[in-house]
Amino acid sequence: MSYLNNPAVVMDNGTGLTKLGFAGNDSPSWVFPTAIATAAPSNTKKSSGVGAPSAVSNEASYFGNSTSATNFNGATGGLLSNNLSGKRGTEDLDFYIGNEALVASQGPSYSLSYPIRHGQVENWDHMERFWENSIFKYLRTEPEDHFFLLTEPPLNPPENREQVAEIFFESFNCAGLYIAVQAVLALAASWTSSKVTDRSLTGTVIDSGDGVTHVIPVAEGYVIGSAIKNIPIAGRDITLFIQSLLRERGEADTSLRTAEKIKQEYCYVCPDIVKEFNKFDRDPSKFAQFVVENQEKTRRKVVDIGYERFLAPEIFFNPEIASSDFLTPLPTVVDQTIQACPIDVRKGLYNNIVLSGGSTMFKDFGRRLQRDLKSIVNNRIAQSELLSGTKSTGVDVSVISHRKQRNAVWFGGSLLAQTAEFKGYCHTKKDYEEYGPEIVRNFSLFNMV
Amino acid sequence: MLHLQPQNLLIQKTLNEAIEALRKGSPLTMDRIVSDFDYTTYHISNTAEDKSILLLSVKTKAWVSVSECQLDGSLTLLKFLADHYSSLGGVTIPSEVEPGYDYTLQITLAELVQESILQLSVLKTIILSFPFELAISKFIELSQQQPAPVEAEITGGEVAANGDNTLFTIKYRDEENIFIKPSNDRVTIIFETIFQDETDKIFGKVFLQEFVDARKRNRQIQSAPQVLYSHEPPLELKRLYQPPKVAEQSRRFITFVLFPRHFQTKELQFHSICQLTLFRNYFHYHIKCSKAYMHSRMRFRVDSFIKVLNRAKVDEDDENDELSAEGRQQARRTFTGRKIVY
Repeated sequence: MSYLNNPAVVMDNGTGLTKLGFAGNDSPSWVFPTAIATAAPSNTKKSSGVGAPSAVSNEASYFGNSTSATNFNGATGGLLSNNLSGKRGTEDLDFYIGNEALVASQGPSYSLSYPIRHGQVENWDHMERFWENSIFKYLRTEPEDHFFLLTEPPLNPPENREQVAEIFFESFNCAGLYIAVQAVLALAASWTSSKVTDRSLTGTVIDSGDGVTHVIPVAEGYVIGSAIKNIPIAGRDITLFIQSLLRERGEADTSLRTAEKIKQEYCYVCPDIVKEFNKFDRDPSKFAQFVVENQEKTRRKVVDIGYERFLAPEIFFNPEIASSDFLTPLPTVVDQTIQACPIDVRKGLYNNIVLSGGSTMFKDFGRRLQRDLKSIVNNRIAQSELLSGTKSTGVDVSVISHRKQRNAVWFGGSLLAQTAEFKGYCHTKKDYEEYGPEIVRNFSLFNMV
Repeated sequence: MLHLQPQNLLIQKTLNEAIEALRKGSPLTMDRIVSDFDYTTYHISNTAEDKSILLLSVKTKAWVSVSECQLDGSLTLLKFLADHYSSLGGVTIPSEVEPGYDYTLQITLAELVQESILQLSVLKTIILSFPFELAISKFIELSQQQPAPVEAEITGGEVAANGDNTLFTIKYRDEENIFIKPSNDRVTIIFETIFQDETDKIFGKVFLQEFVDARKRNRQIQSAPQVLYSHEPPLELKRLYQPPKVAEQSRRFITFVLFPRHFQTKELQFHSICQLTLFRNYFHYHIKCSKAYMHSRMRFRVDSFIKVLNRAKVDEDDENDELSAEGRQQARRTFTGRKIVY
């Protein structure tokens, strides 16, 4: 069968962003918001050109997109009324996803929604259509010819997996499906780092995106669910913190966009705040300036950037400077997580701490985390040596940061899905028809040697 | 999205990215795989020495059969593609094809214009359009000759002797082919379809019937090509093609009849060819969309039944009420109505 030569499709649908691409590529082909803009249910009278995009009009005339043979009398009636006669046209195809959705939702006739909340699919109708469009429009693949690798958050209920399988096998007839846990893929992505010598699937994943930061211990490919810890500090909080600092100083431009740009371009993690403050005071060249231009490039605003360069990422390590209700620093949380795991895997977990997600991209983030964590661990070892009077062999703490950190989950998926064995781990359409949706409750793990 | 677009958005995006990066002075190292329908894979890459030159290679299942198509030996596929692409700014045709691929184009990023990007993104359509172009020129040739006697067509036999045997075949999938048959007053395009999936067979049947009927029902689309649909090879194919015996049951033939008005101008012709080459994908896309639509109706129906059932519930004790109200809100169901347990 010739679909064996087609590259597998790797899809990572996150709360904020969706990463789509083909196995074997080093970066996702598409990264766009997991958003869908559907025709608002309130408008009953619509113009006849249902398929004609008002937002996107860059097509040449011969790609004409506006007439439809099946759209007879204009579309009336909502998509979901209880009687079938409500459906006359092709309203269910009238939607946009990703960036086009954001544009379309600014008009009056579309409403925007995010089908994934907290990593889990909330609205299956929207998700199904989101997938439909991402496969056919953006990836241009016939799902029957490709294997798919999808991701799920840790502790995803198996029923959700079954839903995904129902959609992929029954709606799309995909050739084969593998659903991987995001944390495991992030571990696999770290194999590209030169520091990693053995390709094991044991380690602690620190996954920090826009909304929330997870600390997830993984032992030999299995997530230790009981020990997972969440930290309510992530990218958005850092941006807001920078914004508040800018506002306090009364800078010329204090928009969220500016704060985000500053976060991405100027922030770094320092080893010691007091010393860093001194360094800034002695050496004014450390202060940077950021120029904001409006779209027409007619007006320029200059924003000074001061201590927030190192203060902003510092909220991971000293949360009290930004928040009043969550006060545990990240290294302590990581330590607690590992201490909550079975004793025989703890060494492996300390040994391989892997970063993933955009908010771990700050310079020296890994180094600082490693140092702080090491001091916690060494203190404990010293104390237990004192109490027991025996000598400890020591625990090696190492934090691994690598270049693929931003899309680590997607990249790990791409790495695993391009191996020759991948298709053997998938459940195929035939298996699904034989056993039904519960087949996806179990997937064999990638055991790479 | 009602129609599939012929252009590959990902090629457009990748090329635009590459141009943008070059302009900023930090050219990207490219080694990307891009896919398209029907076992088509593109590979966009550049060499380490000169990052301003990209290679766009394509591998498609239809290549072998398309390159075998020729009329009188004067126009080959390679020449056709070379004619099409060499006139575009920033695109040149290297002498060697990248190993493992069927065709390679070389792109000089600094000279690339938007029109070229658009043309590059429809590369697969252009390849597939070659037999259509041949068929249309054959049609012109035939129509200028004496119109063949109509009776001869019906009785078969003699027509073959007249040399009117031209049939272009595109083998674009494992078991499905496109046949293009020019004759003196029309061009007939016949799609062979076969379904792997049982549900799809039923959907497919309804859709195909609809393709035939929609034209009869709707006056606005009278000028569209005529569509016919049959279980056995249509008469045009009878003598020239024997379908394999396997899975005879589900094999269907869809015939589109193009009259000169469908390919009068260059634009019209390209438009018709785009629609035809994407026909199978369009067809399968809509089968999938219908399934998705039915799923959402099923979920909606289950929800409304659950609402009715909940109304019939007896009030629970006050103590439990708070807990269960919260629980009910969080309880989610699969669309078969089963409760999701956390």
